[in-house]
Amino acid sequence: MTKRNRTREILVRLSAYLAILVALVVTLFPIYWIAANSFKFDIDIFAVPPEWFPKNPTLKHYRAAFVERPFLRYMLNSLLAAVGTTIVSVTFGTMAGYALARFRYPGQWRYQISFWILSTRMMPPIVSIIPLYLFFNFFDMLNTKSALVIAYTAFNLPFATWMMKSYFQDLPVELEEAAMVDGDTRWGAFLRVALPLARPGLAATAIFCLIISWNEFLFALIITLTEQSQTLPIGIAGRVTQYNTYWGEISAAGFMASIPIVIFAFMVQRHLVRGLSFGAVKG
Amino acid sequence: MASVRFDNVTKKFGAFVAVANLNLEVQDKEFLVLLGPSGCGKTTTMRMVAGLEETTSGDIYIGADRVNDVLPKYRDVAMVFQSYALYPHLSVEDNIGYPLKIRKIPASERQRQVAEVARRVELETLLDRLPKELSGGQRQRVALARAIIRTPRVFLLDEPLSNLDAKLRVQMRAELKHLQHELQVTTIYVTHDQIEAMTLAHRVAVMNKGVIEQLGTPKEIYNNPRTLFVAGFIGSPPMNLIDGEVKNGVFVNGALKVKGLGRANVPRAVLGVRPEDVHVVASRDYGASMTAPIYSAELTGESTLVSVRAGRQLLSMRADKNFAGQIDQQIGVKVAADRAFLFDGESQNRVDF
Repeated sequence: MTKRNRTREILVRLSAYLAILVALVVTLFPIYWIAANSFKFDIDIFAVPPEWFPKNPTLKHYRAAFVERPFLRYMLNSLLAAVGTTIVSVTFGTMAGYALARFRYPGQWRYQISFWILSTRMMPPIVSIIPLYLFFNFFDMLNTKSALVIAYTAFNLPFATWMMKSYFQDLPVELEEAAMVDGDTRWGAFLRVALPLARPGLAATAIFCLIISWNEFLFALIITLTEQSQTLPIGIAGRVTQYNTYWGEISAAGFMASIPIVIFAFMVQRHLVRGLSFGAVKG
Repeated sequence: MASVRFDNVTKKFGAFVAVANLNLEVQDKEFLVLLGPSGCGKTTTMRMVAGLEETTSGDIYIGADRVNDVLPKYRDVAMVFQSYALYPHLSVEDNIGYPLKIRKIPASERQRQVAEVARRVELETLLDRLPKELSGGQRQRVALARAIIRTPRVFLLDEPLSNLDAKLRVQMRAELKHLQHELQVTTIYVTHDQIEAMTLAHRVAVMNKGVIEQLGTPKEIYNNPRTLFVAGFIGSPPMNLIDGEVKNGVFVNGALKVKGLGRANVPRAVLGVRPEDVHVVASRDYGASMTAPIYSAELTGESTLVSVRAGRQLLSMRADKNFAGQIDQQIGVKVAADRAFLFDGESQNRVDF
């Protein structure tokens, strides 16, 4: 290799690392800032010039949020609603997606049904708020986590169905056919062959559902009114009051709110590998 | 072990007719090859036996049972897919043992049987590998092992050798033939490769556009093609099919005259003759069918393939490997009329003479 080529290669690498660095700073700085603020006294949060690193760290805001105020309760509510939604959405989305990907439909029905499922997401969620409120009121379900799970599932399920449908469509159909000729039922081929191979799809869909329902604000705001039933985003927003905005508590709760999602993402990350079905077909 | 019977079976995909009114009986323990170009309906026919496609009309019997409405799992057939369709998340051992696992055979017994089959196809050292860690030939063996681990009533093999390289294909061909002989299981084998068909089959069904053009032993198909399609499809290098006219048993196309075709009269005829039945003779030979300059001469090793122009087509012949003629050199060409076939250009059928 000539010297010029070598220099060139180093430059290309350096610029790539530089681009990554910029992207990281842009995405991670807000998270750092919220974490830093959560450990500062109120006066330091507004210091000019900004205090980049908390000089007098304190856990005051954490005590305020999680001991004096019911943020632990909010967190638990969020967790139950999000996990419940994820389980229901992924379960039904997987089965519906498989059915849409594999079963035979007369004429254009596969397309029509798929499109109809997606079309339920075409209106903004706020449109369905009043009917949902009346519905939950009628069934005496306001302020319950089941109501949150139902509402979140209603708008997560179409996406889960479509994501799983495209994953199943990417799997070679011969694998399930082979299983059926080998003596399995359709259900067995689904469970033993299609599902294990769709693991990356399951992981991606689960993360997606979890994040959406963990962050959801609008439905929770309308459906839940009591401290016992409210979720984290509502609780955090509640610290912006008529008289004061409690930035310290907001930062502490916000920082804690991001942790479960990070943990979950780490956990499922290894399932997100591509090419799991590589080597199945073709020599 | 069972026969397979098709009774007026038709399969349509929308308006497209994939298989048209098929009648065929595969006998018990027979090795039947469905041979044809892609899109001729051969794979669809096989998939209907497996239960992966429904028939549009007609009945399929395996043994005495009508299986039209029987789920694949109850048909007791084993299939090797063209793509092998190995379960990528399972080891070789679990792939081979899958049919037994479904049948709830206990793990120890399963292990014993897998080991036995693996030995037979020489996979015993690879049992804990994943499919992606295997070569093409090894994957093919796994697919085969998965099919033979239980003794099904019918084997279905869908172009099992087409993804292998040429050398391995020849070796696996011989092994397949031996295996089928040993296992004595009725086998339906789909291929577009006429050499595979010739070498493996007890009987060959040549398919074209959803219908069987001819059914017979490889010898019959080769020596006695009943239609123009079969004549052109079987044989390598392919049979010469020269257009022309037959009057009173004499075929004429420009300079080419072939006598001795009985008393046949066909206005739009096709003369079929294999390259080995056309001979190079001296250019002044009185019995020559034509005299023409050599168009090309290709040495294939065991022989030389010589071709001349006959009208707008090429007539090729197999000459001795020591043939020394050069391009443009005049030669005499003699067609062995007793080894030639006549086809009607309109109906595409054989004209006997």
